Amino acid sequence: MADEDVQRLLSKKRFDAAFELLLDRYQNKVFRLVNSILKETARAEEVTQDIFLKMWQVLPDYNRRAALSTWLYTISRNTSLSAARTESYRKTVPIDDCEPRDANWDVGMQQMEMKQLVERLSEVQQHVITLFYLQDRGIEDVAQMLDLPEGTIKSHLHRARRALANMMRS
Amino acid sequence: MDCFEVQERIFEGFEGELSSEKKKQLDRHLSACPACAQFFALQSRLDVRLREEITPPRLSASFRVSLQERKSHLRREPWPDWLPDFAHLAGSAVAIGVSAVLLPLPVPVVVGTGVVVALAAYSLQTMLVGTFEQWTE
Repeated sequence: MADEDVQRLLSKKRFDAAFELLLDRYQNKVFRLVNSILKETARAEEVTQDIFLKMWQVLPDYNRRAALSTWLYTISRNTSLSAARTESYRKTVPIDDCEPRDANWDVGMQQMEMKQLVERLSEVQQHVITLFYLQDRGIEDVAQMLDLPEGTIKSHLHRARRALANMMRS
Repeated sequence: MDCFEVQERIFEGFEGELSSEKKKQLDRHLSACPACAQFFALQSRLDVRLREEITPPRLSASFRVSLQERKSHLRREPWPDWLPDFAHLAGSAVAIGVSAVLLPLPVPVVVGTGVVVALAAYSLQTMLVGTFEQWTE
């Protein structure tokens, strides 16, 4: 079972040690997930801290029904989405701002930031494609982070690739 | 294999899931189909751009320190595991001492009985706690 060492520490009520291990293992992954939702690094770092503090508070209640990573990612998604909603951190980029400066797609591709193109995708496609490249192209990791089946992740990924290619061609 | 299937196979390649047999079939199709070859070239460029431009954000160097500081203000440390045992034994010792002074019985009898009762109560409590913890897990 994944995170067996953390589970052992938890069963011995060594919460501090378990927490440190979780931090070592997941702080970057959680930060990437949060950042892909909030799209602002400083705020994402703050929210990542909030998530681990929540995790610290509920660690004694962990009941082993779900994997620790699933539990942590659920807290992460909920906290990030709630931060995005309450503080309007969701950014929308007007389509006009994203138009290529040249009709020739090759020149447009040179000039246009990929980030701007990605921001024109649907929200879920943005998360999937961003996390896929951040997580070293690990479909399984992304599926776990977003709590979606691997097949769904692939399907979003393929649609995102087609949409990005169309944008570059237009 | 139609062009849509070929395109899906191209995507599988970017996900690192293409066997050598499938790759050969793909190459054969690409050499015979200019539209798919163009699609492949465009998707390859897109993949390179995405790899180059989607880079992992870095947590600041002070992340852990600042988290620990917030954590220390958040909640008092839970009681140490040994505290209930210590409290039980200390309480028993005090009770035996007071009983030895107050009861009109010989001191060795009171102390002996007190020690036996305290140990029996401690064993029973440990057993019940263990059973309860196993049950809640």
